[in-house]
Amino acid sequence: MLKYRNLFKISELCNAKTVRTLSTPAPETESTQNDIAQLPSQKEKSVLNHPDYFSVHNLFTVKDLFDAKVHYGHREGSFNERNLPYIYGSRLGHIIFDLDKTAEYLRKALNVAAHIAYRDGIIVFFYRGAQHSHLVETYAKECGEFAHTRFWRGGIFTNSEKQFGAVTRLPDLCIFFNTQNTILADHTAIRDTAKMSIATIGIVDSNCNPNLITYPVPGNDDSKSSIELYCKLFTGAILRGKEKRKEHLAESLEQ
Amino acid sequence: MAGSRLEKVGTIYTRVSGLIQSKALNWQDRPLWYDVYEAFPPNEEPRFDRPAPNIQLKKIFYKEDKIRAMFHRNNKRIGAINLLGHGKTLTQRFIDTYLELESRCGKDATEEQLYTEAIHILNREREDKRKPQSNEIETVSLSSSFKEAKKKREKELNVKVKSLF
Repeated sequence: MLKYRNLFKISELCNAKTVRTLSTPAPETESTQNDIAQLPSQKEKSVLNHPDYFSVHNLFTVKDLFDAKVHYGHREGSFNERNLPYIYGSRLGHIIFDLDKTAEYLRKALNVAAHIAYRDGIIVFFYRGAQHSHLVETYAKECGEFAHTRFWRGGIFTNSEKQFGAVTRLPDLCIFFNTQNTILADHTAIRDTAKMSIATIGIVDSNCNPNLITYPVPGNDDSKSSIELYCKLFTGAILRGKEKRKEHLAESLEQ
Repeated sequence: MAGSRLEKVGTIYTRVSGLIQSKALNWQDRPLWYDVYEAFPPNEEPRFDRPAPNIQLKKIFYKEDKIRAMFHRNNKRIGAINLLGHGKTLTQRFIDTYLELESRCGKDATEEQLYTEAIHILNREREDKRKPQSNEIETVSLSSSFKEAKKKREKELNVKVKSLF
């Protein structure tokens, strides 16, 4: 289990000037210091110009989504009408997602995750639900990022300085593998990330609200096969971003 | 550090851009995702008050649902289904045979005739499957293999204890 305290990297190198808060990158004046490695800003810009720099589109196919049961939604009774554009239809009372749409949104989300990882952002995986929390935590460990799959104490983001007793760097991207807590209400962290202006990616099932999530991905968030697929895809994208970062850092040091 | 906690107003991007525009936030201190958001904006703005679109939820039905309904109406107990998805389900096999019969007979046969014929074919298939299986089970079953092994061993160990002394 990842402890709460491990959730945030408290920048130990920093003196008062270089402390990074509220998901901001290190100030550019710090590029002269050797211990904070930075990419040249021109390189960062050129990476952004490419439509799919980390080629995340080939991480999965629509068939993979179908095999992982991503297209299954909940029953019609719990349907949230804000999801209507992502829905293929209702089969005898069960909502079925349009997997072409899911693939489009998922590719966008994977691309963003890879870019954030490339820029050395902190990424946190969220999942509320005892069945798959261990799975999510192990995948987060695998790609060297963080996971929070337990009860969300209010104020971890909004009152972090008091809670941790120090200036805290908040994550730059939160990936929600489900967007609801156990009692069928929205995860409080979704509201908190919006308050602290942190970008979010969220798997939105047919009974969830996609509005506050920056990059929603419509799909099943309950079955093990689909959660495992999402975990694999996002860790894959993040690792690709990190690899490229390493390469480019090595190149810039050589020059 | 400046920030706006009114999550119900605008999006995270518009709030941060507003802070930058009013110089409450330096351009250098912008969030890490800001450039990524500009390069790859989401398909819909992540606004809290985005209304639900006015689209009809369509029902999914297929042509063969008629056959499926007929099969299930007449057969209430059709056994368990393997959820791991190995092979076709009984209903699917029935539909396949029914459609094949229909294409072969054309419009000469009525629905009832096709139904009884398809059921007949399925029953015959099941019986054919059972016969060779019953032999197989006998050869591989635990007790028979145990007996065989015992016989083999007796043959090999053809030594009597009495003869040793």
